[in-house]
Amino acid sequence: MNASGVSVVSRAHPAISPGRIVSTGLRWAFLAVGIGGAFLPFWWMLRTAVGPPQNVLGLSSSPLPSDVGFAAFPRAFEAAGLGPALATGIGVSIAITFLQLATAIPAAYALGCLRFRGRAVLFAVILATLLVPPQITAIPNYVTISAVGLADTRAGLVLPFMTNAAGIFLLRQYMITIPPALLEAARMDGLGTWRTLRAIVLPLSTPAIATVATFSFLLSFNEYLWPLLVARSPGIATPPLALANLVSASGGFPDFAQLSAAALIISLPTLFVFILAQRRLAAGITGTGVGAEG
Amino acid sequence: MNSVFQRPGWRVAALLLPAVVGLGVFTIAPALVSAFIAGTDKTLTGPSFRWVGTTNFRAALHDPDLAQAVRNTVAYCLITVVPAVVIGLGLALAADRVARGRSLIRLALFLPVSANLVAVAVVFSYIFSANPDALANTVAGWFGIAPVDWLGNTSTALPVVALVGGWRLASFVFVVYLAGLTTIPVSVREAADVDGIHGWARLRRITLPLLAPTTVFVAVFATILTLQTFETVAVLTQGGPLGSSTTIVYYIYKAGFTGSFRIGYASMLALLLLVAVVLLGVIGAAVGRWARARVAREVTL
Repeated sequence: MNASGVSVVSRAHPAISPGRIVSTGLRWAFLAVGIGGAFLPFWWMLRTAVGPPQNVLGLSSSPLPSDVGFAAFPRAFEAAGLGPALATGIGVSIAITFLQLATAIPAAYALGCLRFRGRAVLFAVILATLLVPPQITAIPNYVTISAVGLADTRAGLVLPFMTNAAGIFLLRQYMITIPPALLEAARMDGLGTWRTLRAIVLPLSTPAIATVATFSFLLSFNEYLWPLLVARSPGIATPPLALANLVSASGGFPDFAQLSAAALIISLPTLFVFILAQRRLAAGITGTGVGAEG
Repeated sequence: MNSVFQRPGWRVAALLLPAVVGLGVFTIAPALVSAFIAGTDKTLTGPSFRWVGTTNFRAALHDPDLAQAVRNTVAYCLITVVPAVVIGLGLALAADRVARGRSLIRLALFLPVSANLVAVAVVFSYIFSANPDALANTVAGWFGIAPVDWLGNTSTALPVVALVGGWRLASFVFVVYLAGLTTIPVSVREAADVDGIHGWARLRRITLPLLAPTTVFVAVFATILTLQTFETVAVLTQGGPLGSSTTIVYYIYKAGFTGSFRIGYASMLALLLLVAVVLLGVIGAAVGRWARARVAREVTL
């Protein structure tokens, strides 16, 4: 890895000057501030959720709660209907992730490893769809989904997200790095198009597939606009929607301990998936060369 | 090579079909339909509608609320993207030089990317509460600033919303730059070490020029992302007070899905947004190509 290469080189030049020490100190201070900033909203969420009830009239800004208790969690769970919301959110996100992989893997394989006429044009069209803001498709999709009677259903929450052009792009970028000689050898051994995908391309692309799956799950779990339009009845509200509903239901005097508990609960699934996947994420992003090529 | 071209077409078609159908039905067709609806007076509730030509377009040009939303969005982009790129780059450079604990630092700085924006917006709503004891007002108090009603004030509502967006964007920028830094050849780093080029000079003369393609990608992508800001506005301010934090996308939502449900007009606004995004994308791709070509030249020299 590059990282270890660099550290070896710098150890070979032990320039321990006062300037070096200052810059190392500054670097760590900067990192500490950055990490603190990244954690602050999560910390504030946690510390308010486990603290005593608070509202706009009585707020505390001490970094530690005056009294630790977990009463706000069952209250939030009940008030926001988080049980069904989490079930809907996780179910819908898994379905979307599965559909996106099922549509993206074969397409990326065809675009990255096979040669056919019109490939470049098709790839360009797929890339171009990345530029279409979700808001422009939201209105006609809402009309379509309502017309086929899927408004206010879980299927209606899933279907419009069945393909993910960014996922196709990421996977294709990864798959073009598979040596053509390997694919040629597979063909010589009598492996057909489909079995080459299953036996060679799929196992080699695991890091990129993991990356795409993680982002699919994160983005669909956190999606707000589409459920806001489609999930009209509270019974199929997704977690972000359930939280937003709780905010508007509590009017001018929300109990922040309860809201924070709800916010924390709906943050846990994505946090969990993210921590599980983060090691692979970096590998997946780096391997696709997106950082360099865009 | 020739033999590969002879693969039966139907196999390729079968591989591509699911993705093409999905994108066709839920992205390409809706975009075209949207372009059509943009020329009509369709409402969400009304059964009939008629073609009104450029009426919606001309209405958009003279819509003072839209003008305000555009101004807000441009301001939002500037105060979000620029600091996020600088901070994200700084953090990536700092984290890249760390030998021990890299993965922990990376995990901590990746966290905002995974965050649920509605949940974070809820937390920010009481951090920036008008209450003098709220966190933001307490910190402001240390600097002798009197308590502010952050979300209820026309001059502070948008910056607070932008702070939530910038918080997450900086983390995204960090992720991309960290990946970009690994593409700098080890040989270049070693050469710089041997020549004793360190600190500011190294950053300005070696690292930043080599990262230029990443910077172009990050800047364009971050701008396109911020142009689509919606949920933070919906939760924190609902576009208020007095429209001072209404972004373009929130305005499109308000026009199409609330009030008199003017889907036709909202589609026209979405179409104009698409044009802006495509223009940005095209310019970004051109600048990116130029930056990559320059890097390729310098690395081979």
